[in-house]
Amino acid sequence: MIDLLQSLIDGLGRGSVYALLALGIALIFGVMHMVNFAHGELITVGAYIAFGATVTGQWGWWAAAPLIFGGAIATSAAIELVAFRWVRGASDFTMLMTSFAMHFVVQAVFLMFLGAGVRSFPRPEWADYVWGVGGLNIQVIDIAVIGATAAALAVTVYLLQRTMFGLSLRAAAEDFDAARLMGVRSNRVIRRAFVLAGALAGVAAVFFLMRTGQARPATGLSPLLKGVLAAIIGGLGNMSGAVYGGFLLGVSEVLLRSWLPDNLAGVTDGVVFALIALFFIFRPQGLMAVESAERV
Amino acid sequence: MRALLAGRVGSQVAGAAAVCLVLVLGGLAYASGGPPTRDILVTQMLINAIMVVGIQIYIGNTGILSFGHMGFAAIAGYAFALLAMTVERKQRILPDAPLGLGDSSLPLGAAAAAAVGVTAAAGAVVGLGLARSRAKSGAVTATVITLALLFMVHEVGIAYDDLTRGRDGLSFSVGRGLDGRWPVYVALLGAVAVARLFKGSRIGRMAQAAREDDLAARAMGIDPARGQMAALLLSVAVVSVAASLRVFQLGIVAPSTFFFDYTLLTLAMLIVGGRNSVVGALLGVVLMTAVNESTRHAAGIDAAGPLDLVLRPGLTDMVLGGSMLGFMIFRSKGLIEDWEPDRWLRRRFGSQEQEPPAPTPAAAPGEVRLTAEGVTVDFGGFRALSGAGLEASNLEVVGVIGPNGAGKTTLLNVITGLGRAAEGSVVLDGRPLVGAEPFEIARAGLARTFQNLRLFPALTVRENVAIAALAASEHRERSGGPAVEQILVRAGLWELRNRRARQLDYGNARRLELARAAALAPAFILLDEPTSGMSDAESLAMIEEVRGMAGCVGAGVVVIDHDLGFITGICDRIYCLDRGRVIAAGPPEEIQADPRVQAAYLGSAAGAPGPVGGPNPAEAQNVAEGPDPDESPGPAENLK
Repeated sequence: MIDLLQSLIDGLGRGSVYALLALGIALIFGVMHMVNFAHGELITVGAYIAFGATVTGQWGWWAAAPLIFGGAIATSAAIELVAFRWVRGASDFTMLMTSFAMHFVVQAVFLMFLGAGVRSFPRPEWADYVWGVGGLNIQVIDIAVIGATAAALAVTVYLLQRTMFGLSLRAAAEDFDAARLMGVRSNRVIRRAFVLAGALAGVAAVFFLMRTGQARPATGLSPLLKGVLAAIIGGLGNMSGAVYGGFLLGVSEVLLRSWLPDNLAGVTDGVVFALIALFFIFRPQGLMAVESAERV
Repeated sequence: MRALLAGRVGSQVAGAAAVCLVLVLGGLAYASGGPPTRDILVTQMLINAIMVVGIQIYIGNTGILSFGHMGFAAIAGYAFALLAMTVERKQRILPDAPLGLGDSSLPLGAAAAAAVGVTAAAGAVVGLGLARSRAKSGAVTATVITLALLFMVHEVGIAYDDLTRGRDGLSFSVGRGLDGRWPVYVALLGAVAVARLFKGSRIGRMAQAAREDDLAARAMGIDPARGQMAALLLSVAVVSVAASLRVFQLGIVAPSTFFFDYTLLTLAMLIVGGRNSVVGALLGVVLMTAVNESTRHAAGIDAAGPLDLVLRPGLTDMVLGGSMLGFMIFRSKGLIEDWEPDRWLRRRFGSQEQEPPAPTPAAAPGEVRLTAEGVTVDFGGFRALSGAGLEASNLEVVGVIGPNGAGKTTLLNVITGLGRAAEGSVVLDGRPLVGAEPFEIARAGLARTFQNLRLFPALTVRENVAIAALAASEHRERSGGPAVEQILVRAGLWELRNRRARQLDYGNARRLELARAAALAPAFILLDEPTSGMSDAESLAMIEEVRGMAGCVGAGVVVIDHDLGFITGICDRIYCLDRGRVIAAGPPEEIQADPRVQAAYLGSAAGAPGPVGGPNPAEAQNVAEGPDPDESPGPAENLK
């Protein structure tokens, strides 16, 4: 029982990062019908910012965190401007391929200018503190990331439900053309969706990087994959589904790690992928399917 | 010889051979006299060409973006290495190899063949999964399933030390090096010919139809999963051959041999050249090899000053990713959209086509009845249909009218299997259809058109019709239905037969949709608002076209419209739907005079510009009498 509770807390901590990324991916899918495979690059950008701030600049994490957050937002908006704006409304294949190409291009930029090497930076001291409560070992960073995620989700819900921006975004996600005819400005709503997704990724990046303390061109790949998987598990385009998908993925990863025999420990991710592929095969529309009966 | 080059298979094989010859001779010319590294480069390019053509078979024909092909290549590469390596070498580097793999060794050809077999088996499993997930062109879930395969194979490659030696990989020399490039040449020719033949084959064309419009393909009796599975297996086999050759040439297979870098390279080649064309894929290979080499060459220069910034590691990735991005934005179909060299051969050596005679109406076929009864459909809390139904015979034209939201299209969707009914039955010629897949229903004899046109846009007019005829000939006993050419003539599309469907104007596109439905040689053609967006004169012309086309194939017609003029002009009997129920049924005159019909129409017309206020008897009368079909703009205009 205590083990299960422990796994649950670890999994929620891990899943928070996935949930934030997945929500951003779902937001962008909502307005563009594109799965953004370049979303993980926001974390890579954050990783190099963290390195620059904590190692090169010798500032602490108090300075790094807001810089990472801002950098993710700026990068997200820039990627939209450079690439995605030009394929808006193109075929699904084109958009999918474009976002993959963008993923490779951003990685190549880091490779060209910063090299393939791994750059390590110090993690905040408190990140490793463990808090013992009645047999549970709770990592402080898990509490921090769960709390920050809850706050970020609350802000997002407020923005989506209570502001004009949220209304136009949800309308655009339902039916882009109709929303435009009703006066929703497509450039603005898409740009803002990317900014919001970037902000969520920024929060995710801060805590992800506090845990890993490394920067290399492929830093964003693994969290990206988990984010995309979570978004699809939740039912693509369904925003609350994406969040649930993220937490579900995090918890099942941790549980799987503790259940798998030792000689399979090296392929935990492989087993996770296999299970998810099986899930998609039997429920391709995800947990919470978006009601979008194809019009005939 | 001439006849061979004019024929389909002959010209395709000849075209493939010619392209391969150009590629090989060009490569040899480049290599001769240069440093030995050029020799290696050319071999690599030819192997890449086989690989990219293999990927093209899947991505090109199905439109599904796959990242899993490098996963398949890795499976094949490891299988080949494990089987072909000498026993002594295995005992030295893999003492704990399971399954007795350490104690035997196969000749190279047999090892490659076994690698193809193993990988094809894996392909079949993945293909079943993709089919289960309802993969279609551009589907994200399908792409992610392939991505999961790539990562799974990669992880196993790293972690299964006893078999793969982890990140170090299996290095081996099989004895002599590649004795000349003959195996590569043969494999290349085979790959290109197979890819081209598949593209032109029945099953390949069905896969392309599903790529263009999954729903329309299903409605034409095509099961997309079948074409996708065939494409996947063939594609995986070609990729396995290429992987074996690559492993053999490199002398090593490691987890990184077939992973993201190689995925990026091969996909960039395919995308730049044109994914829907085999010769395009080859062009992409040549072009990206050249670009890649010149950047690598440039990066090797010990540059100083401003150039230094550009010439760095990562530049190759930048160029590959950048060209993919550029092509997606500016020319998403790639350099060559769909062209193949055999098209030129056939035009050069084939004879001019004569316009065939238009088909004569089919002899009166036996009567077939279509009955829908008690159909009830709920959308969430909204009851779209409650106990609606209709009855039709293939000897008549039956209309369904009703105001917007009456449930007309919903009823049609239930009949053709695109919508699910909570209750009710649909029976065609004694055979119950509820619960059947749309493509099964189409094969059973119901062909439909769509309210918002659904053609196969990238296919030509003739191919659009031919696909339906193909599906019909595979799955139904064609009772001597007219040939594709005759249907084209009958539809007035003969002159336009080689245009792409997306280039047609609206009226011709509607005509093509009708012709495509007729080519299925169905018992019934179901038309969903065939005149929407048409002028009255065009609507009147459509009456003749529908009657003529249905007569040619001996099909009955069920037509939905809210244009009373059109419906009364074409139908023998009419059903009027309102709020999900049939409120009246009978011959046109009776329906027009029926007060319930008038009320339903007036109810919906009251909101339209015009006389406002309570039901106006005079107005109702006016509407009900409706326009004479010959006297186009009438009061019925208000009802549209």
